[in-house]
Amino acid sequence: MCCWVRDMKDNGIRADSGAQNAVGPALRVENVSKAYPARKSLFRRSRNEAPAHLVLRDVSFSIERGETLGLLGPNGAGKTTLLKIITTLLFPTSGSVYLSGENVFQNSRKHRSRMGLVTCDERSFYWRLTGWQNLRFFAALYGLSKKDSDRRIAELLETLGLSQAANRPYQEYSTGMRQKMAIARGLLGQPQLVLYDEPTRSLDPLSAFNIRSYIRDHRKQTPWQTHLIATNQLNEAEFLCDRVIIIGKGRLLAFGTIEEVKQMWRDGDYEAHVITWRGPRQISIAPDPAAGLLAAEVRADTNDGASSIKVQVRKDSEGLSLVLRTLLGHGAEIVRCELQEANFDEIFCSLVQGEAPPVREAAVAGEPKV
Amino acid sequence: MRRIWAFFVRDATIAMSYRASFVAQLLGNLLILGVFFFIGRTVSSETSAALAPYGGNFFAFLLVGLSLGDCVGVSLTTFGQQIREGQVTGTLEVTLMSSMRLSTMLVYSSLWNYFFAFVRFVLYLGLGSVLYGVSFGNANVPAALVLFVLTVLCFLGLGVLWASVVLVIKRGEALMTTIGYGVILMSGVLFPTTVLPGWLSAMSSLIPLTHSLEGMRLALLTGARMGDLLPIFGKLTIFALVFLTIGFSAFDRAVRSAKQAGSLTQF
Repeated sequence: MCCWVRDMKDNGIRADSGAQNAVGPALRVENVSKAYPARKSLFRRSRNEAPAHLVLRDVSFSIERGETLGLLGPNGAGKTTLLKIITTLLFPTSGSVYLSGENVFQNSRKHRSRMGLVTCDERSFYWRLTGWQNLRFFAALYGLSKKDSDRRIAELLETLGLSQAANRPYQEYSTGMRQKMAIARGLLGQPQLVLYDEPTRSLDPLSAFNIRSYIRDHRKQTPWQTHLIATNQLNEAEFLCDRVIIIGKGRLLAFGTIEEVKQMWRDGDYEAHVITWRGPRQISIAPDPAAGLLAAEVRADTNDGASSIKVQVRKDSEGLSLVLRTLLGHGAEIVRCELQEANFDEIFCSLVQGEAPPVREAAVAGEPKV
Repeated sequence: MRRIWAFFVRDATIAMSYRASFVAQLLGNLLILGVFFFIGRTVSSETSAALAPYGGNFFAFLLVGLSLGDCVGVSLTTFGQQIREGQVTGTLEVTLMSSMRLSTMLVYSSLWNYFFAFVRFVLYLGLGSVLYGVSFGNANVPAALVLFVLTVLCFLGLGVLWASVVLVIKRGEALMTTIGYGVILMSGVLFPTTVLPGWLSAMSSLIPLTHSLEGMRLALLTGARMGDLLPIFGKLTIFALVFLTIGFSAFDRAVRSAKQAGSLTQF
């Protein structure tokens, strides 16, 4: 602890005694729900007005200081909405968010200055300005002195490999360079909490790997910083995050380390089977959550001319027998049916597709309220 | 101060990076002066009693109207444009991550536009004097500067009020154009309000620009003294206080409402 406080002072980082001395989690999200109000006609009441759209339902979790938490969920799960609520760009319908124990919606400007947001929107810079001019503008906006901002910008551009391009207009940057700029901007003010909104979206695998490596290395250098990474790249979460939360349809589905989530699956109500058969090959089987069939993925033909399918089913449901009945109904000859260890991708898909009830907590007891 | 400078430099750099547009804008200002000059020559100034209080020169009358009207146009449009641009380009969200109030950011974002409007104001008057012989020999420059600042403050309030409308309805250019024409019609930008029908002339006194133009013409064209202009200063101060209060409180409400509805960055 002493070590990183000294590092912060050496680097001219804003003193935030509240953050350093506060006890408890770095960020606590407490029973947050968000419903977008129905659109109303400006001139007359419509009988067909859309109802309020519920995006988040009673989501609670916390992040420890220095931790990196992955916020996982499919598109439309509510990840960006949750980030916007944490950054106070959006008000929740109910619940609250605490940064170092302080409610972010009270004196929100102070709390915003302790957060950095890394967006995936490459438009969010001034395209006619150079990379350096862009960062200098945002540094002034975030309250850095001229001396600190020049040093910090040079440092960030150097470590992100953008020094050579610093004086080129932003519009000439590649997508990967723009994403690096977004990271540089998010880290400019040495924020206490860094929020990433899909930091490697639309990047090629090499650029994505470079960005992830940078974030991982940066974490080691700034252990006092807390990171929340919203992503739907599961390998990214596995690479970067200490723990993950999985949300689907606005609800918290799982919370813990990836190993804990996997263990939770094993102990839970779900299982995966691989069924191999001979006979007709073009058999289509669609998930049927109501029957307990959460996912079905036909695999390549085996060497001996048989076909196979991997299914995730709810334990003690009709899911497995539904698949077997369908195969037999198409005249297939079942060769074998094996219980399989599900990988994290499959567990994730099952969780978010299966309309499963929130899974038992995998995290330290008493932390999340699901 | 560093933030103010950062906004100013950002906007100046972007504006001047579009070199052709920047030069064309200045050239356009020069040409419009020519248009007004020949309109002024076509209309016989001597026969119009309505122009007598302003020295009787129709072109000089138009010149002041055009110069100040241009500044007012900037006030009315710049704030809404800034919001809309931020929403469309995606910069609004990241700028909001700072500890600044959105309304403060909005004012800082208008500084370059105001500065450039002031340059155009001076340029119009200078060119009008050099190229077309309008005399400002008796002009009361300090009074003109006071009037300029009060006018900017009045319309800054209205501009911020307009920005709150843009936050809610997103696109309001057509509505603003209509309001702009109404202001031009009633406030005496192109002709004295005394030529309007009685009821319209009475309505024009509710528009701050009417008083700004009246004061500015008297200060620049007839050299009216500070004491003579005090009633106009008073009216403009009241307008400014009212519009600034209404504008900023409406804007705060609009931001709260947009944060509730999730529409802050929608466009």
